[in-house]
Amino acid sequence: MSKITVAGVRQNVQQLLDYSLNEKKRNFLETVELQIGLKNYDPQRDKRFSGTVKLPTVPRPNMALCILGDQHDIDRAKHHGIDAMSADDLKKLNKNKKLVKKLARKYDAFVASDTLMRQIPRLLGPGLSKAGKFPTPITHAEDLNVKMTEVRSTIKFQLKKVLCLGVAVGNVGMTEDELISNIMLAINYLVSLLKKGWQNVGSLTIKASMSPPKRLY
Amino acid sequence: MPKRKLGALEKVDADLPNLQHKIRRDPTSYTEDFRAQYYQYENHREIFMAAPTSATDTGILSLRDLIDFVSHVADCYPEISKSFPQELIDILTLYHTILEPELREKIVGSLVLLRKKNIIDSTTLLQTIFPVLTSTPSKNLRTLLFAKILSDLRTSNSKATNHKLNRTIQTVLYNLLTGDRTSSKGLWAVKLTRELWRRQLWTDAKTVEIMKEAGVAENEKVIVGGVRFFLGGDKEREEFEEDSSDDDGIDVSRIRHQVGINKKRKKATKALSKATTAVKRKEKKRNQPHPLNFSALHLLHDPQGFAEVLFSKHLQNPKSRLNLEQKLLVLQLVSRLIGLHKLTVLSFYSYFLKYLTPRQPSVTTFLACLAQSVHSLVPPDILESLIQKIANEFVSEAAAAEVASSGLNAIREICVRQPLAMNDTLLQDLVMYKKSKDKGVMMAAKGLLGLYREVGADMLKKRDRGKEAALGLRSGQRKQQVFGDIPAGEIEGLDLLEKWKKEERQRKRLEKGLPEERSDSEGEEEKEGEEEDWGAWDIEADISDDSGGWIDVESDKEIEISDEGEEESVEKKRVKLDVDLENKENDAPNTTETKPSNLATTRILTPADFAKLQELRAQAAVSLQLQKKGHKIHHPTAQSVPLTNSHRHMDDPLTAAEIEGLASLSKGRISREEKIAAQDEYKTDRAEHKSKAARKKERKSDEGKSTTNKEKARKKNFLMTLGKAKQKGKRSLVETRKVLKVHSERGKRGGKRGNR
Repeated sequence: MSKITVAGVRQNVQQLLDYSLNEKKRNFLETVELQIGLKNYDPQRDKRFSGTVKLPTVPRPNMALCILGDQHDIDRAKHHGIDAMSADDLKKLNKNKKLVKKLARKYDAFVASDTLMRQIPRLLGPGLSKAGKFPTPITHAEDLNVKMTEVRSTIKFQLKKVLCLGVAVGNVGMTEDELISNIMLAINYLVSLLKKGWQNVGSLTIKASMSPPKRLY
Repeated sequence: MPKRKLGALEKVDADLPNLQHKIRRDPTSYTEDFRAQYYQYENHREIFMAAPTSATDTGILSLRDLIDFVSHVADCYPEISKSFPQELIDILTLYHTILEPELREKIVGSLVLLRKKNIIDSTTLLQTIFPVLTSTPSKNLRTLLFAKILSDLRTSNSKATNHKLNRTIQTVLYNLLTGDRTSSKGLWAVKLTRELWRRQLWTDAKTVEIMKEAGVAENEKVIVGGVRFFLGGDKEREEFEEDSSDDDGIDVSRIRHQVGINKKRKKATKALSKATTAVKRKEKKRNQPHPLNFSALHLLHDPQGFAEVLFSKHLQNPKSRLNLEQKLLVLQLVSRLIGLHKLTVLSFYSYFLKYLTPRQPSVTTFLACLAQSVHSLVPPDILESLIQKIANEFVSEAAAAEVASSGLNAIREICVRQPLAMNDTLLQDLVMYKKSKDKGVMMAAKGLLGLYREVGADMLKKRDRGKEAALGLRSGQRKQQVFGDIPAGEIEGLDLLEKWKKEERQRKRLEKGLPEERSDSEGEEEKEGEEEDWGAWDIEADISDDSGGWIDVESDKEIEISDEGEEESVEKKRVKLDVDLENKENDAPNTTETKPSNLATTRILTPADFAKLQELRAQAAVSLQLQKKGHKIHHPTAQSVPLTNSHRHMDDPLTAAEIEGLASLSKGRISREEKIAAQDEYKTDRAEHKSKAARKKERKSDEGKSTTNKEKARKKNFLMTLGKAKQKGKRSLVETRKVLKVHSERGKRGGKRGNR
């Protein structure tokens, strides 16, 4: 495939949504994933890229969040109905690797008040950063709800030991336009990260959790 | 059967090479001969096996010859010699310590030969000779075996990767390392793995796992082998590749030239075509991307665990028997792991406290390791005490200049990675050193100042902030950094691109004679934009079809082409849209201005777009610099210093040399002796003085070119010229007149080559 067009993306998104919503509807909200294959990329010479970008629409609204905070933030979290843990709760884990791992596995992302933030590595050890879930800081001045959406709508591109990566860019509950704009932003951002731009992109595929993949590029 | 008769007449049993030669040509006819020889071999073997220590010289000699013979022709009689490989293996494994060296070598050679003839497989061979390699006391045998193992692995991986074999060997090596951690046998595993990694035969995670085991072994040599691999194995691999790629330099242009001037021969033309294809192939190979070479540090399965074990076992452990040099190697590895993978090993930082004094041997390496191990997720309070200690110990008026500058450099390197680790009183103190008389100290302090102007200008005193930072602070553009905050990225310069696109559109409209401030509905603009995109894409596609791949879009020419394409497409569009435009001229103002980041979500940025983006970004940066130059700027160098850090590849280590930095500048004026020594250095590589003509002549003769006629005449043997000179004196008057006349006429024409 030599080029990618907005119309092509739209068509593929339509097909994907049609499959997941009408043809084979599942009993859960399917996530739409963007899968990227890289080429001509030498991991040793080219700078390893990693980056986060905020999408216009939240791709995974059901993401489980946990707040690690002081009293003020815990109260706020309770008000919004979000799980929260205090510093004492964290101390109880006692740096136990298994318990920290369990905690990391339970939630998709963490938010911590900035007062507590500096103690996190001491309290929890390497567990959270190992799982790639190091908390995002929040100050008392910030609105909790806004922060939650921000955390939920931020996606992370990170290259691991293989030359392909996948990110969740949306779900089948979103409208076509929302999904398209999310996909476009993700693609554009990814390409801007790469040293040689489009020359480094081997393939782009979108896929809902249970749908067949649709190749964009 | 005359041939058979002839064979019978010869003394076949004595002449093994002869028989071997004959068997090769016609195996079926010589079956009986072979059987006889094989019987002999078996006899000798049994005698040997019965008493391997007391074998006679002649017996060993004939056994060796027979082994050689059988292994050479074993492929012709697989049935008869079925048990032969196994017997060799048994002899070697059982008696390799007491075997006579030449016989031992012969057996190894025969086994390799059998492998080449595909009678035994690689796994059997390697599993036989590897244990011998690790246990034999003979150095000769070890070198031989190592070479054989390596060459066998190379050949079996040459066409395609032999995964099965690699996996078995890797398991053997892994078991060797984990089985007995205290023995030095593991060194062979390290050596072999390193060599195979260098040749890119093994590039997977399992290889790295072997080296990881070496790193946590008990034996010092093995530990250092493993650690060195992680620190330098990848560089070695790269260098090896570069070496091998430009070894046989074929100069095609030279060959082509020679074909042009010399007599046409088939051989020469063939050589030319061969050379060109070789060069082309090499070129192609060079341009090919690497399959997938992740560095060893990235392939580690559990970097956190590895770093923790290394640290606790070799560095923290008081019983560790490593010396300082070895400890420093381990320290470098641990710090690189921590920095690269952003690990959390909090006790690592306090370990440094007792080593951070100027008197500590190789303290700059310690400083470099400390700075290297800092990353954005290290709690700042841990680092604060370390920075304080460095500042107290190294940076003071009393300290020597190079000590102070390396201390400042180290602090800067730490703060580049974790700016929050600095407190403002200390920072303000340190920045004062920018007034230092010593150049190294001054530059280091300015580096620190430049860094904090960018990342935390509010911590500096007002007069140190610089104009740009002060303005940024006042307008609130500069945000206070928070620990653990990873700012969401965006496409840099996207707003610039959008602005440019808008201007471009307006410009075109002006060219068309339409009003500048055309207001358009967004949808239409979108469509138009898409059309532009298509134009750009098409051009990309066309070009890439020609060359069979993507090409760089950085050249201006290409961008121009795509611009033209845009214009054309816009023109086409214009005809269609003209009617609509008239109606829509008075519509609501453009909505794109209110939503600046629309571009990225509504369209796919093309290669041309990205190229333009890059250009615009560069332009913006340049104009910013120019702006600064217009006003008076005090420290132009300080601004660029922190940048050097971000340019470095993340995988590259921080070295002690970087920490020492400009310490060489601190050493004061060089003495007279040093100056002379420096001059002498230049003197040695200058050639002997010669005239221009002489140098030219030398060059020509080096290039294999001939001399001029004049030179030939000058160099001609005197005796050969004698005849002509004598003749001159014997000329008759008529002859002399003729010669003179010709000479004068020639002079009138303007010489021999005068133009008539």
